[in-house]
Amino acid sequence: MPIEDISFLPVSELAKRIETKKLSPVEVTQHFLERSEKLGPRFSAYAHLTPEIALEQARAAEKEIHRGHYRGPLHGIPYAAKDLLAVKGLPTTWGAKIYANQVFDYDAAVIEHLNRVGAVMLGKASMIELAGGMGYRFASASLQGAAKNPWDTTCWTGGSSSGSGAIVAAGLAPFAIGTETRRSIICPAAFCGVSGLRPTYGRVSRYGAMTLSYSMDKIGPLARTADDCARVFAAIAGHDFRDRSTLPIDKGAFTYSPSMELKTRRLKIGWVTNAWKNLDPSIAKAVEAAQKILRKYFGSVKNAMLPEGPFVDAGIIIIAVEGAAAFRPLIRSGRVGELADPLDRIAGYVHEQYSGADYLQALRVREILQKKMTELFDSFDVLVTAAQPIAATPLELNLETEFSFPDPLGRIGNLCGLPALSVPCGFTEKNLPVGLQFVARAGDDFAVIQAARTYQQHTDWHRKRPKLA
Amino acid sequence: MDEKKSSGISRREFARRAAMASAASLAPVKALTAESAEASPESRQVPDMPKLSPEGQAEVAARIQAILSQYGSRFSEEQKTEIRRLCALAQPSLDRLRVYAIEDGDGPALYLKPLVERERKPTTLPAAKPAAPGKKN
Repeated sequence: MPIEDISFLPVSELAKRIETKKLSPVEVTQHFLERSEKLGPRFSAYAHLTPEIALEQARAAEKEIHRGHYRGPLHGIPYAAKDLLAVKGLPTTWGAKIYANQVFDYDAAVIEHLNRVGAVMLGKASMIELAGGMGYRFASASLQGAAKNPWDTTCWTGGSSSGSGAIVAAGLAPFAIGTETRRSIICPAAFCGVSGLRPTYGRVSRYGAMTLSYSMDKIGPLARTADDCARVFAAIAGHDFRDRSTLPIDKGAFTYSPSMELKTRRLKIGWVTNAWKNLDPSIAKAVEAAQKILRKYFGSVKNAMLPEGPFVDAGIIIIAVEGAAAFRPLIRSGRVGELADPLDRIAGYVHEQYSGADYLQALRVREILQKKMTELFDSFDVLVTAAQPIAATPLELNLETEFSFPDPLGRIGNLCGLPALSVPCGFTEKNLPVGLQFVARAGDDFAVIQAARTYQQHTDWHRKRPKLA
Repeated sequence: MDEKKSSGISRREFARRAAMASAASLAPVKALTAESAEASPESRQVPDMPKLSPEGQAEVAARIQAILSQYGSRFSEEQKTEIRRLCALAQPSLDRLRVYAIEDGDGPALYLKPLVERERKPTTLPAAKPAAPGKKN
């Protein structure tokens, strides 16, 4: 196979070739490094590349594999890590100029896990400053500027895992690590036409990751397929005594192999009818076609209604208060004034004003919501709807006014720590990707993987690639 | 001139003044003297203001005053207008959240542990089927 053709191969295919020594990890790494150096700047995809680390890790992987020590499906596979994950000795900017020279002397738990399975780090992916914790107004709210969508460079990738989305969509790496507090994996996955998994809260350790919201931050992969997401998730999931929010050992770990298909159960699908107030017509068309596929291949697809209540409001207040607490030194010192986005510079002051009683009220509403969702999942295994109601937005759009719509399933999913997976399900008339979102009960990450994988076995939207002139 | 009208204050005005007095009592004296004249919320028009109750408006005014008392010197006029707008926009979410029916026993989801179903309801294993009679070779 010509080396050029590997750019869009899923992890599963690359791994087969590496395991059988048809591809060398060094060659694969050099290919993705060259591609990232050439195309990365076009999309503002990377905070920085790390070729020395990548080649050192690739050489080590190659030696081990030649000695017969194959570590598993990520051995010798290149990836990019969102630039809020600490990597020892390297700048970790959190997407903000204030932290341009920040260097940690340890690795984030996710990086440790990926080192352990022999994955190869190409570099740090660009991101929205402070992961959007202060509420940004423009796509340009990043140290690297606005991340451009490989499907149309006049459009945004979505945020805050902006670079992670661009990197996978442009075939600059087979997978990337993103994080989500509120739609930061699901939105870039949908906008960029890739698969993105937001794991159950507490399954992936956040040790060494920037904190935005203690009770809502999650780390997960963006990749070409749901199957690839599952492989990466299996490598990074698990209890970590350094992150007290992680689930216990028996519930945190995730094991995956394609043979698990044999053990899959018949999933009851809930088609959510009240997720979005308005869907763009071309999104609605793609999602309706996806619904037909689901009805064909799943035994049970019935309409589902999300519980109603001030859940979006509770999410807003929890993130605002926790973000204000996390970034209190920046707010108090006035250094928020050095952030790139005009909204980022002032919103923290407002967030700081919420009372403790209101924050606790939001947490009490969250508890009620968790119970309501548990009841809903007594009838359904997986809830499905459009990942976003619109396609990728123009780069200059005022996100505060034009990208501001209620997202009940996104809010509920994040408030309750539910796993979600977005996969491509079509294109708009302007050839922009459309995403389909699967959400399951907390802890049942396998259900969203199984559902999305089944959908991808019967469609080929995930095989489409952007034309990169 | 209507005597009654000119000397009395409306309920809304009373609430606003009460909230301002309350916020002022918490503000550092130095900051307050520096900011109170220019920061009085009534002198600023808040664009896109959501429709709020008098109590809500008073709360917004108090929040604006608290920010400007403490940090006012950091902001440009444009930023101050923005802060007023953001404070006003935050209020409807708070109002909706506060009126949501909650019972005394409803606790907060402190340090969130997602409700992993197996933790709450231990799965009841299906009763083992009686072994099929073994085939005799």
